[in-house]
Amino acid sequence: MLETRNLDKSFGAVHVTRDVSLKLERGERRVILGPNGAGKTTLFNQLVGELTPDSGSVHLAGEDVTALSVARRARQGLSRSYQKNTLFDGLTVEENLGLAASIHTGHASRLWSDCLSKPEVREIVQEVAEQVNLMPYLHATVSEISYGVRRQLEVGVALATRPLVLLMDEPTSGVGPEMSKGFHDLLNNLPRDLTMLIIEHDMDLAFDVADTITVLNYGEVVFDGLPEEARGSSLLKEIYLGSWENA
Amino acid sequence: MFRHTPLRYAALVLLIGAALTQTFTAGYFGLEILIEILILGMLVLALDLVAGFGGMVSLCHGALMGVGAYAFVTLNVLVGLDPWLSTLAAVAVTAGIAWVIGAICARSHGIYFIMATLAFGQMGYSYIFESPLFGGDDGMGGIDRFDLTSIGLDLNDSKTFALFCLAVLIAVYLFAAAILKSGLGRSLIGVMHNEKRMKALGQNTWRVKADVFGLSGIIAGIAGVLAAQHILFISPGMLAWTVSGEALVVVILGGLGTLVGPLIGAAFFVVLKHQVSEVTSHWHLVVGVVLIAVVMSRANGIFGWIEARYGAWIDRRLTDSTRTETPEEILTDA
Ligand SMILES: Nc1ncnc2c1ncn2[C@@H]1O[C@H](COP(=O)(O)OP(=O)(O)O)[C@@H](O)[C@H]1O
Ligand SMILES: [Mg+2]
Repeated sequence: MLETRNLDKSFGAVHVTRDVSLKLERGERRVILGPNGAGKTTLFNQLVGELTPDSGSVHLAGEDVTALSVARRARQGLSRSYQKNTLFDGLTVEENLGLAASIHTGHASRLWSDCLSKPEVREIVQEVAEQVNLMPYLHATVSEISYGVRRQLEVGVALATRPLVLLMDEPTSGVGPEMSKGFHDLLNNLPRDLTMLIIEHDMDLAFDVADTITVLNYGEVVFDGLPEEARGSSLLKEIYLGSWENA
Repeated sequence: MFRHTPLRYAALVLLIGAALTQTFTAGYFGLEILIEILILGMLVLALDLVAGFGGMVSLCHGALMGVGAYAFVTLNVLVGLDPWLSTLAAVAVTAGIAWVIGAICARSHGIYFIMATLAFGQMGYSYIFESPLFGGDDGMGGIDRFDLTSIGLDLNDSKTFALFCLAVLIAVYLFAAAILKSGLGRSLIGVMHNEKRMKALGQNTWRVKADVFGLSGIIAGIAGVLAAQHILFISPGMLAWTVSGEALVVVILGGLGTLVGPLIGAAFFVVLKHQVSEVTSHWHLVVGVVLIAVVMSRANGIFGWIEARYGAWIDRRLTDSTRTETPEEILTDA
């Protein structure tokens, strides 16, 4: 569903992505682990097209999308959430979701009709709001909801484009362990055919949702396998107890 | 998102009422002032559409209005085309040019966007100024107002022309409001709030900005045609960047991103200008002081201030009265 081949990226002398090749099957839920500064977010930016890799390619549903714009990739089914909330701040939760949904349905570029009141759009808004527990907040503006709820909306907005592949950059960053757990339950309840790539900082939380695990360290894939294997891996322990803890 | 709150409806009704009262009571000079306000009102609606809802602060809207005026006069007076056809073509030309300017400038932001639009405006100004075909520095005359005698209206009568301009302004307002309530308008507001996210969601943000800039050009073009018919003479000065600057001042003075506010700003600005210039020739100084006061007050212009006051009043009334009502339902307007 989503594949990268030999992605490479440097910022000046800093080599942030080293020959990264990943492959996600349809419906696969893969978690990316790695210490701060390992290049996880930079990898996401290259996947969605916000950054151009120095070399290598990105493939979505079998098609090479490396040369396509961010918006084109999104329209082909790639959606992401951000580590740092990237929402429509002055708008309500419902409008945030509605805007995303109407871009997906194509109503967001039309001149003589209001996209937000279209039944197709409302249906998606309703469904996503239920999926990420936003029903009680639909009419509140972003500035009126708490940080934790904003994190839910961050993922909700990404979901509202009905993606084939959903990339989530530390969806639980900054929220307490209690809420993180709830968040993972919520991810587990998403449709099984949705392919997910999730950056997660906390290893234990990662095991809640992962089918497969990739570990990045200094921009390099140092582990790619099943959660059970990851748990026993001495390499992983070393990264965790070494650079990770000190990061 | 753009909404019509009760306060906005009330302000609109008041404005229309004031315009009608002025039409039927004012003398010739009063009517001239009114017409000036109505035409400026169209220009500032065009500007508020892009600046207040799309973050595209344009310094070429005066020039766009000038393009509309020149295209109309060229086709109607020089070519001898039917006035309505000339209007249609002039508005189309203005919209087309606006779309191209929007498309080119859409990738730049903030100060760079302002400078790019300023450059386009100045190019238009210089071209008209130096082109003998368009009368150069001398401008062009020989303009007639629309002939509506078939429906019993004589637009050469100031009162009738004022009513005609008011009708057009109302139509233009409804057009702008319809754009903002459309999918395209919602996208524009999304782009202003977070362009990066709009792209990540799959929206072609460049196209949204260019399209709305083009639609805004339609309004500027209409204002240009009416401005030409109002003064019956056009000169390159119409395209000068100071016209755009003045329009921007009016939008900020009235309340950026409210549609109603800029109309109030237009009335305030023109009346102030005429009142003060009767006393002193330094009217710019007075307008400057007022603008500084408005900006320093941190309110969103005159209308923004009224909206904030009204909101606070509602708030107080709610906390004073019973707690059975949910305040959210009344205060959700953002
Ligand atoms: N735009 C940029 N310019 C220069 N360096 C960058 C840029 N973006 C990220 N980096 C650097 O790349 C490295 C990886 O960053 P990032 O991908 O954000 O890590 P992670 O998400 O794994 O914590 C860091 O050292 C960071 O400072
Ligand atoms: Mg990161």
